[in-house]
Amino acid sequence: MRLTIVQKTVLPFIFSCLMLSTFNSQSQEKTGTKKITGKIIASADNRPIPNASIAVAGTKTAAVSSDDGQFTIDARPGDKLVITMIGYLSQEVKVGKLNTLEVRLEQNILKLDDVVVIGYGKTKRKDVTGAISSISGDELRKTSPTTFDQALQGKVPGVVIQQISGQPGGGVSIQIHGISSISGSNSPLFVIDGVIIPPTNDPGNGANPLNTINPSEVESIDVLKDASATAIYGSQATNGVVVITTKRGSVSPPQISYDGYYGYQQIPKRLPTVNLQQLATFLNERATVWGFDARPEFANPKYLGTGTNWQDELFRNAPQQNHSLTINGGDARTQYLFSLGYFDQEGIALGSKFKRYSVRLNLDNKTTNWLKIGTSLQLANVYENVVSGGTSSSGVISDALSLTADIPVKNNDGTWGGVTNTSGWVNPVANPVASALVNKNVNYRYQLFGNAYAEVNFTKDLSLRNEIAGNFDFSRNEGFRPQTTYGKYTTPDPTSSSYSSGQNFYTVLRNYITYNKHFGINNNFNVFVGHEANLSKSSYVSASRSDFPSNYVQSLSSGDPSTAKNDGTYSHGASESYFGRINYNWLDKYLFTVNLRNDGSDKFPPDDRWAFSYSGALAWKLNNEKFLQQVKDINELKLRIGYGLTNNQNIPSNTYVTQLTTGANGLSGTAQFQSNLANPGVKWEQTKNTNIGLDGAFFNWRLNFSIDVYDRHTDGLLLKIPLPRYSGTTTGYSPGAMAAPYVNVGSMSNKGIDIRVGITNIQKKDFTWKTDITVSRNINKVLSLGPGGDDASLVSSNSKTVAGRPIGSFYGYIYDGIFATAEDFKTHALPADQSGTPRPIANAGGGIWYGDRMFKDLNGDGIIDTRDQTFLGSPLPKFQFGFNNTFNYKHFDLNIFFSGSVGNKVYNQLPVSQTNPLNNTNYFTGVLNYAKTALINPDGDANNVNNVYVTNPKTSIVSLRNDNTNENGRFANLYLEDASFIRCKNITLGYTLPQNILTKVHLHSLRLYANVSNAFVITKYTGMDPEVGSWNPLEAGYDGGRYPQSRVFTFGANVKLTK
Amino acid sequence: MKSINKLYIPLLLLVAAAGCKKSFLDRPSQSQIASNNFYQTTTEIRLATANLYGGASWWQWHAGPFLQLGDVLSGNGTTGQYQGTDNNELFAVNLSASNGVVQSAWTGLYNIIGQCNNTILGIQQYAPASVSTTDKNAGIAEAKFIRGLAYFYLAMHWGAVPIVEDNSKLIKDPFLNRIITLDVYKFIANDLTYAAQNLPVTDVAGRVTTWSAQGMLSKVYLTMAGLNGGGTRNQAYLDSAKKYAANVCKNSGKTLFPSYYDLFKVQSNDVPEVLFAYQWEAGTGYGNGNTLNNYAPSNAIMPKKGGAWASMKPTYDLYLMYSNKDSIRRKATFMVNGDYFPELNAAGGGYKATGSSMKKHIVGNDIDNSSPLMDLWSSPEHDAVLRLAEVYLIYAEAIMGNNTSTTDPEALLYYNKVRTRAGVDPLTTITLDTLLTERRIEFAFEGNYWMDLVRLSYWKPEKALKILNGQNRAFFNYNAGVATPDASPVVSVLPATASSFTLQIPASELTANPKLAEPPVPYY
Repeated sequence: MRLTIVQKTVLPFIFSCLMLSTFNSQSQEKTGTKKITGKIIASADNRPIPNASIAVAGTKTAAVSSDDGQFTIDARPGDKLVITMIGYLSQEVKVGKLNTLEVRLEQNILKLDDVVVIGYGKTKRKDVTGAISSISGDELRKTSPTTFDQALQGKVPGVVIQQISGQPGGGVSIQIHGISSISGSNSPLFVIDGVIIPPTNDPGNGANPLNTINPSEVESIDVLKDASATAIYGSQATNGVVVITTKRGSVSPPQISYDGYYGYQQIPKRLPTVNLQQLATFLNERATVWGFDARPEFANPKYLGTGTNWQDELFRNAPQQNHSLTINGGDARTQYLFSLGYFDQEGIALGSKFKRYSVRLNLDNKTTNWLKIGTSLQLANVYENVVSGGTSSSGVISDALSLTADIPVKNNDGTWGGVTNTSGWVNPVANPVASALVNKNVNYRYQLFGNAYAEVNFTKDLSLRNEIAGNFDFSRNEGFRPQTTYGKYTTPDPTSSSYSSGQNFYTVLRNYITYNKHFGINNNFNVFVGHEANLSKSSYVSASRSDFPSNYVQSLSSGDPSTAKNDGTYSHGASESYFGRINYNWLDKYLFTVNLRNDGSDKFPPDDRWAFSYSGALAWKLNNEKFLQQVKDINELKLRIGYGLTNNQNIPSNTYVTQLTTGANGLSGTAQFQSNLANPGVKWEQTKNTNIGLDGAFFNWRLNFSIDVYDRHTDGLLLKIPLPRYSGTTTGYSPGAMAAPYVNVGSMSNKGIDIRVGITNIQKKDFTWKTDITVSRNINKVLSLGPGGDDASLVSSNSKTVAGRPIGSFYGYIYDGIFATAEDFKTHALPADQSGTPRPIANAGGGIWYGDRMFKDLNGDGIIDTRDQTFLGSPLPKFQFGFNNTFNYKHFDLNIFFSGSVGNKVYNQLPVSQTNPLNNTNYFTGVLNYAKTALINPDGDANNVNNVYVTNPKTSIVSLRNDNTNENGRFANLYLEDASFIRCKNITLGYTLPQNILTKVHLHSLRLYANVSNAFVITKYTGMDPEVGSWNPLEAGYDGGRYPQSRVFTFGANVKLTK
Repeated sequence: MKSINKLYIPLLLLVAAAGCKKSFLDRPSQSQIASNNFYQTTTEIRLATANLYGGASWWQWHAGPFLQLGDVLSGNGTTGQYQGTDNNELFAVNLSASNGVVQSAWTGLYNIIGQCNNTILGIQQYAPASVSTTDKNAGIAEAKFIRGLAYFYLAMHWGAVPIVEDNSKLIKDPFLNRIITLDVYKFIANDLTYAAQNLPVTDVAGRVTTWSAQGMLSKVYLTMAGLNGGGTRNQAYLDSAKKYAANVCKNSGKTLFPSYYDLFKVQSNDVPEVLFAYQWEAGTGYGNGNTLNNYAPSNAIMPKKGGAWASMKPTYDLYLMYSNKDSIRRKATFMVNGDYFPELNAAGGGYKATGSSMKKHIVGNDIDNSSPLMDLWSSPEHDAVLRLAEVYLIYAEAIMGNNTSTTDPEALLYYNKVRTRAGVDPLTTITLDTLLTERRIEFAFEGNYWMDLVRLSYWKPEKALKILNGQNRAFFNYNAGVATPDASPVVSVLPATASSFTLQIPASELTANPKLAEPPVPYY
């Protein structure tokens, strides 16, 4: 084996070096030309490279390498052969005496000749003027992601990505160059093969609207960050644009490839819940203090076992697999790509499941010499079982943490276990295992997605492209919830079945003319103008019935007809745009770009529907200046400066008028409920964006980097404004409240820097080591919040947004220990009643006593009230970074990727209730350290403040006293934790089989790999997962027991069949 | 050929592209009507005001605070000793600023006020001339009646509160001051006076009439009379209360429903005695319906056999109020061990109570009420907010005025109508104590008793405190005609103080608008 590797890698290398450095003396000099045969191989893995083009410089003679990399070409000695292949550095070889050559091509990652997608077109990376980061599909797939957006974390500088839910196919929040909008949608615009997916708002339930895209089909992803890059997309592009290009066919014989993996996932961390013995001991101690609630079954804790560990019962090691088969090829006229995908993932929480089937067909046809037509089509089917039906909205995971260890999963008689304690204060909780297994909540999505285009070339310079693109999304939800009894808890609703169906149609018609002209050799103009109209229509219908005769028949028809309910809506929206761009390249040193765009949207009142966006950019290729051209070590050095203004329309339709909703009512007729508070004066949000960037590459590309510094200033921030409750409005869920109005409330600034550095540390013939580092730093600051001046604030949950601070900062009290000594009652203020009188110091209910928490009296008025709150930190990370290392040793490749986040705070909500002794659900082990009181004089008065002390004064857990006058659970920095982390996102070890073995089994190439995703996390955070993404920037960083990201072990293969 | 194609195809496409009409961007909602197209006929105005009688608009107030403040805080009952911190605090009369019930009460009342405000403004702005002024004013009067009621609840619980008349003004300036309590009451009286002047004398069952407004006015004036304290009440306000109450008693043509027990059945929804009741509908889903039925003691009498979360239990203190003869009202108000209710789960043979638990609002299951859509979130009961019986007692109290007792025949006449209907002996003298007890018994679990105590605390704070701190809030066991209170105290608590009669502004609201902590300002 060892010998094989040596033979296959080292020998050809040496051989080819010899070939290149010596001349063939037997050349047929008489005729001038001779037949040269050779082989093109990849230097990284010695695989033959098919379809590489070999041309004799200065002539029209050219050839293409065959599948095994072989070629034949006629050339004269002294001629230069130019070998080019997409994805590789081109190479020149001088024809010498030898008639055979072997050419090794170096892989080209993000080099100058790479094509980068810009709005409505492509350009070479070397000619880019805006801030654009690109990532290849291969790079993306290294983490075996379920959805492509998960894989971008740490790979793209300037982009902050946080997982919202770890459930299979769950959502991800993406912020490009910070948060510029507070209306809840900071998500970028996604453009997939020309189909615009408008920025996503929270679809609810941690779901991900982009989960129908199969990552296997992605060719590349380009992230457009600054205004000069995004302005061409106009009103929806303020938060950046993510352009996804799928793979297409190429001029080649049919190539069949298969990518597949199988893996399993496990929960990386469990939370420290008390076991049965600890629970019994604790409750016995509490009953002694309370004087009631002694539970006879716990009389002798030492005879009890450990009981049920609900986390063990709910979480499992779950399999996932992915298979995708691609066939592509084509001739000079028609190229095709056909791909089939299958992905199947069980969730680590019982019952959760995600499945995706996808079919893609991409076609390009050069119909005549002036017309080109083509299409990209994707059919996808997603099946998703979302675990639901817990006692609370957060569902089974919080139920698993809330149920105590004395409850069995199943009773001896086979029924589901549940809380049987009849005391009113012991809250019933649904059995999460039963909820996960018994309830059905399945989403089905069928999506037809794609575009068709026709491109007409009038002349060499002038072309017109017409494009129609669309997204036709059919979704269906089926739910079935049997009425189930868990101990004393019976689920409130009768057995019910629900069915809903929705259609979302989105179409865009787009036409643009491009004019591309060289004037002389030093002036290159590229101009285009276009028009685009978008129309979206959706409809939704739902129905339900209850009272089913059996749990085995779940269709609506078998429910009680008299309980039938239904609902349905239609909605539509439109936008229209005119746009244009001028690119001018002078001397290949100075590049200018100007974008203009006028957008109209139905979201605004008729007299304020249109908004104008513009941007300009300048790039200076320093390396093409004379003074640097001589410096061999500089391959690229480019300075970019851009400025632009973009408009944002990310609000729902019809917010400028009051909408009336029909409600049933005891009076005759359909009562009309006013569902929103209208703001007839709502306007577009505007962002001014300045970006300065520097791209460089040195030492034959071994060191390359990009640095961008930006300043984004947003005015007229659109916000669904959280008004005080006396406004009768709400920004969230609050029955009977009107939806809050959308208002242009103020301005915000985001300044930041993002850096990407790529280094080839070692490049030896058998060993290469490459490192990529990305760092993103963003400083968010709210500048003003409109009326109210400096006092204006937006309060959402325990987060407060005010001018001069980052959006959504935590706001609350400062914890200062517990009342442990008589001295503490002298040094610390007490909470007050309605009239401002401090609560009495007393052991009885209504008093403050030992073991209550002390808070700092910040305003020094001698009482603790809402005025003693202060800012406690931000949920926004100071930095996010990625650190990626790739090693190649002979046939082995190893990738280790870390990503991390520094300086963000997370409110760890679970311990707030689960270490509260007054709580009557389950506890974390921390509760055992509750404040224990003792008497200084054992015979003295237990109610005398001078005769009591706390034996464990350092604890933060309150005492067992049955009173909460002190409001011990008020929001304080106690449970606000630093959630900085470094996550080993990915470790992949791959092995590419040597050519000689492959030939025998008729394979073109075969790579086997093993992968661990989310291998480990280094963090001080004590919750399940420090990564806590949120759709709503006003209320980010709350960890209330979410679906954690799993650790995934995967084994996979990439296979290419010969033909 | 080629050149023709070259011109023809692109031109065709360009024409298609440029063809977007101006109306392309007009996309009014297809699922909801916008207010600027509504209020066009009297029917549409009545659909808009129908929204103010129940459903989502009233839900947050009604689902929790209405009984939890009215009857739990006041010591009539509770759903359980330690049913969460919120309830514990209510029962102990020891409310913190973060209490969830207090927050829902505040939110719920301002929700309905917002709906009223927008309805009033919508009619004023968009109703065309083709709708008669009488009909427009009647619509506005319905909204003002309900807005006045909501502000009355706010004033009774918090005293000084912000007044919102046009919610859209809050978009520009959201930070309001609290208004001094007297001005809030004046605002309420203005709204109700407008309603009394513009509402019709009769309307379909369930809609408010001028009698509803006048009855409410008498209650508001009776309350205002005590506002400035000092042991006596303001005679001018007492006279106003008396005037409006007398008018309703004598001229409305309405009479008490003959049976106190049957009055609380769904079949008696909106009988003439009821001057205003919430107009709930069955099958409206969570957040829209009457949830009081959930206080039932057993799933057996619930629709679809589920959702009896926690029964509302009467206190021993409430039990002691009822004389032996007062059994009709007792049995209609709460059940005790051994009581039999044939109308609850009638198909299943009725319900035999095994413990003490609230009976009012417990109306049985879907079959009992011939209401297939009834579920745990939506009882079809239209529970009354203002009954003629209350106006009778207000009339008697207004006549008594600042005297310690009265034997005025007019006062006795109406007072005793309430008693005789309930099957108890008439009184010959009315005192403040008999009035308070009568009101507590007659309206127990109708959300009134806390406000009775607050009204008393305005002018006799020591008396109100004495009542509150003298209550025995223990539960009791009932066996063979004997009630035994639980031995251990329900919660060991410090005594209530004068400030206990004013709720705290919710903590989150104070954080959102620190101006609420400033002293209140005048409105007029």
